[in-house]
Amino acid sequence: MVLACLLTAGPAPAADSGLPSGRPKLLPPEQAFHFSARALDAQTIEARFDVVDGYYLYRDKLRFAVESGGSSLGPAELPAGKRKKDEFFGDVETYRGALVIRLPVVNGVPGQGVLLKADSQGCADAGVCYPPTMQQVRLSLPVAGSGPGPLVDAQVPKKGLFN
Amino acid sequence: MSETTAVSERPPEDRPPVRFPRWAIIALAAIVALTAGAYVARTTVSPASARDAATLLGISLPDVDGREQKLDQWRGKVLVVNFWATWCAPCREEMRDFIRAQKSDGSRGLQFVGIAVDQADKVKQYAREIDLNYPALIGGMGAMQLSQSLGNDLMALPFTVVVSRDGKIVHTQLGPLKQAALDELLAKLL
Repeated sequence: MVLACLLTAGPAPAADSGLPSGRPKLLPPEQAFHFSARALDAQTIEARFDVVDGYYLYRDKLRFAVESGGSSLGPAELPAGKRKKDEFFGDVETYRGALVIRLPVVNGVPGQGVLLKADSQGCADAGVCYPPTMQQVRLSLPVAGSGPGPLVDAQVPKKGLFN
Repeated sequence: MSETTAVSERPPEDRPPVRFPRWAIIALAAIVALTAGAYVARTTVSPASARDAATLLGISLPDVDGREQKLDQWRGKVLVVNFWATWCAPCREEMRDFIRAQKSDGSRGLQFVGIAVDQADKVKQYAREIDLNYPALIGGMGAMQLSQSLGNDLMALPFTVVVSRDGKIVHTQLGPLKQAALDELLAKLL
């Protein structure tokens, strides 16, 4: 047992370069940039990102699309982000906290099911960036007079992006 | 105080002695030791660190001019493999340090290699812009999977793997590899 313990901990001193931050505590992108959406009516979807403290999304990397029979999305109504002059990217706009985006649905049919896909890309203040991440929710466009549909959370995939 | 006397060597006569069997104490100590050992190993070095770098050195990727480059060609050097992308600001920032280190310590056997999770044209343009003085290989999104197999389970950037002259992975780093930390590593390895 002692030997097993030593073997387990053995490589640590050799590889320890005094870098306790070798593995900063970080969330997977689907949790750091939690996505949800609801259909307000047959012509409007309200998409939402809840960005965890210490993380931010790039405004110009947001993309939305629906998969359904016949309907599509008009231009997203993106609120103004926080402008910052990035040393590398020039003027960029970023979002932190809660972000709500209205998406016009073109040719939306009441009662129709749609699959909303959202691409986003962001970083953590800890100094890492995530590759573009796609999240999706399945919504049903409400029938007239029934009010907005329920808020639907994107499912966090059980496995990573590539396996 | 009664709790302490209950487990002491000489319990009071009116109470039955409460003792853990010897095997249970040994088993408990072993579990604690193993857990602690595993925890230390996980927090100071990633699981990949115990492995040698044969898989990494065996891969071959195109450079910005489309020529296949096998990482094996840098075997025997202190190899710093940096996964990065042009869309990643913290990656760009630390590359300035890497360029400096490559310039000052290249002759002592230090070799940086960038693997870009990116498109070739963007990498080529950026490499020219910053006068990159070490190879930039094009990994595309597949490089994320490679970095994941090396311990980048979050698949975020930058991610850096340091390989010693004898082909062992001695450090993996998610997030920027700070100048001071890099210097400390190189002092041991060069």
